[in-house]
Amino acid sequence: MSSLAQSKKRLLRDWQGAIAIAQRILLELWRRQVSLVCWMIFPASILMVNGLILAKPSEVSTAAAFSQSVPPCLVGTALFFSCLGGSIATLVAEREQRTLKRLLVSSLRGTTYFLGVFLAYALIGLGQTLLIYALAAAAGAEFQGSMGICLLIIVLSIMVYVGTGFCIGATLARRTEDVNALVAALGVPLLLLSGALVPIEFFPDTLRQIARFNPIYHMIEALFEISVQGESFAEMASHLWVLVILAGVMPAAGWLAYRQMLISERSR
Amino acid sequence: MLQIRNLCKSYGPNPVLQNLNLSIAAGEIYGLLGSNGAGKTTTINILCHLLQTDSGSITLYDQPHSEATQSLIALVPQENLLYGSLTCEENLSFFARLYGLSKRQRQERIPACLKAVGLANRLKSPAETLSGGMQRRLSMAIALVHHPKLLILDEPTAGLDIDARTAMWRLIRQLQAQGMTILLTTHLLDEAERLCDRLGILKHGRLLAEGSLPQLRQRIAAQEIIVIKTAEEESAIARAQTLGFPHRRYGEDLAFWLPEVMELKDIIGCFAGILLTSIAREPVRLEHIYHEILRNPPVAERQADHLCTNSSTLSQLGRGLG
Repeated sequence: MSSLAQSKKRLLRDWQGAIAIAQRILLELWRRQVSLVCWMIFPASILMVNGLILAKPSEVSTAAAFSQSVPPCLVGTALFFSCLGGSIATLVAEREQRTLKRLLVSSLRGTTYFLGVFLAYALIGLGQTLLIYALAAAAGAEFQGSMGICLLIIVLSIMVYVGTGFCIGATLARRTEDVNALVAALGVPLLLLSGALVPIEFFPDTLRQIARFNPIYHMIEALFEISVQGESFAEMASHLWVLVILAGVMPAAGWLAYRQMLISERSR
Repeated sequence: MLQIRNLCKSYGPNPVLQNLNLSIAAGEIYGLLGSNGAGKTTTINILCHLLQTDSGSITLYDQPHSEATQSLIALVPQENLLYGSLTCEENLSFFARLYGLSKRQRQERIPACLKAVGLANRLKSPAETLSGGMQRRLSMAIALVHHPKLLILDEPTAGLDIDARTAMWRLIRQLQAQGMTILLTTHLLDEAERLCDRLGILKHGRLLAEGSLPQLRQRIAAQEIIVIKTAEEESAIARAQTLGFPHRRYGEDLAFWLPEVMELKDIIGCFAGILLTSIAREPVRLEHIYHEILRNPPVAERQADHLCTNSSTLSQLGRGLG
């Protein structure tokens, strides 16, 4: 068999492996149900509360409040907990149950595993996206801008979260109980500082400057500017570039951390 | 089928495998024995590509062991590494897909593998609802799903009750009858004795002895072993020495090697004048051989140990002088 045919066969097998991993993660979540149900309740409740907080009959209509609430609710909180928290939890569970060893024996490549986890959480993230937009639309919210760019921002955000999840899951989180502690310690301050929970207009100037170094801030701003304010691609390009760079850097860092983890796992 | 030549592996300064050589013929069950830390798991991890070797070679069917030959090997790990919420069918299907089996191949292999391990009626049962023995058999089915040629069983009956253990032994023999080559590690010497065609005994990463049970039996100059219980052990040992019966302690038991099979009355006569509480006759078993080989390694091994000790002493001395 020629090397080209072998490479093609290997690629096909990797892709099949990634799909198998994604399906397995989703099937396990479906069976356990609790996580999936919570990942539906959480963004729905955050959107409702956010929308009701922002709505002021004299200044902001309910419909406008809901449309303004979608970006921080979706790329800020919902994807943060599902894609980042979920990918850490998957990796830690695999290590704790030692099923990772069995996967390694099957000569599964690290990249295939990474892609599988990304696919699973991308589907969950896209499900949350549909839910949030459907709820907001039901409250009368309207959106502007290109749907393609909005989708790109969401997919890039998922890549950043899953990549970061791999970094944390492969290096810092060794047990299930570490996951909550790490997400709370690293995540909640980042969320607060991104404008996901408290609008950035309430921040003092110093904190606003610091917020510019927060990836979540750029995710929210990118989606907000295009879908709520209807700004052009050029006007929000700075946020998008930050996202594009992070969507390259974080999965790469996650993959490296995962590789290092495999080296130590192999000798266990 | 499998040939391991001069395999060496160290963890930092600690050698774990030292010039390990072994070969396994197609269709045989080879038992790798040794205490904890002897190098069994390291050998398995290297065979499964979980670890890199420092030096040495492994060939499978005369081909260097590589990613291409990896799918010829399957491992049944010591623990039941399963996805509990997935059914037996889903667990098998997941691993079959990782090995690149097509849908058609999966439809054929999954029921066949579950049938082979006696779980055909548990196709839709979640893995977490199975007993420990059933989970181990499911683990075996997962290993078989991609049609490997060499099955590695890492302590296949550890933690199983006697019924599950017997069922597992039966299954291992069935797999051998179907042409599977099996490498197993175990701490249960009676298990190794029952199942294995050939055995290798590892210590400190070196193969001290290798062969079939009759071949290994020749390493003990005894036709029979007697275990006696007496309050006058010193007298019994002294008497046995005059008769040329070497003595050994196997745990609490005081045993004597008999160079030939003797009548019971003659054995009792040998210890006349000593109050014996009980006397038991045993054939030479793997347990006796194993202890003897670990206690008195072959001369070459002793020399190697001696050299290792000298070199480490010299290096320590060197460090001290430095």
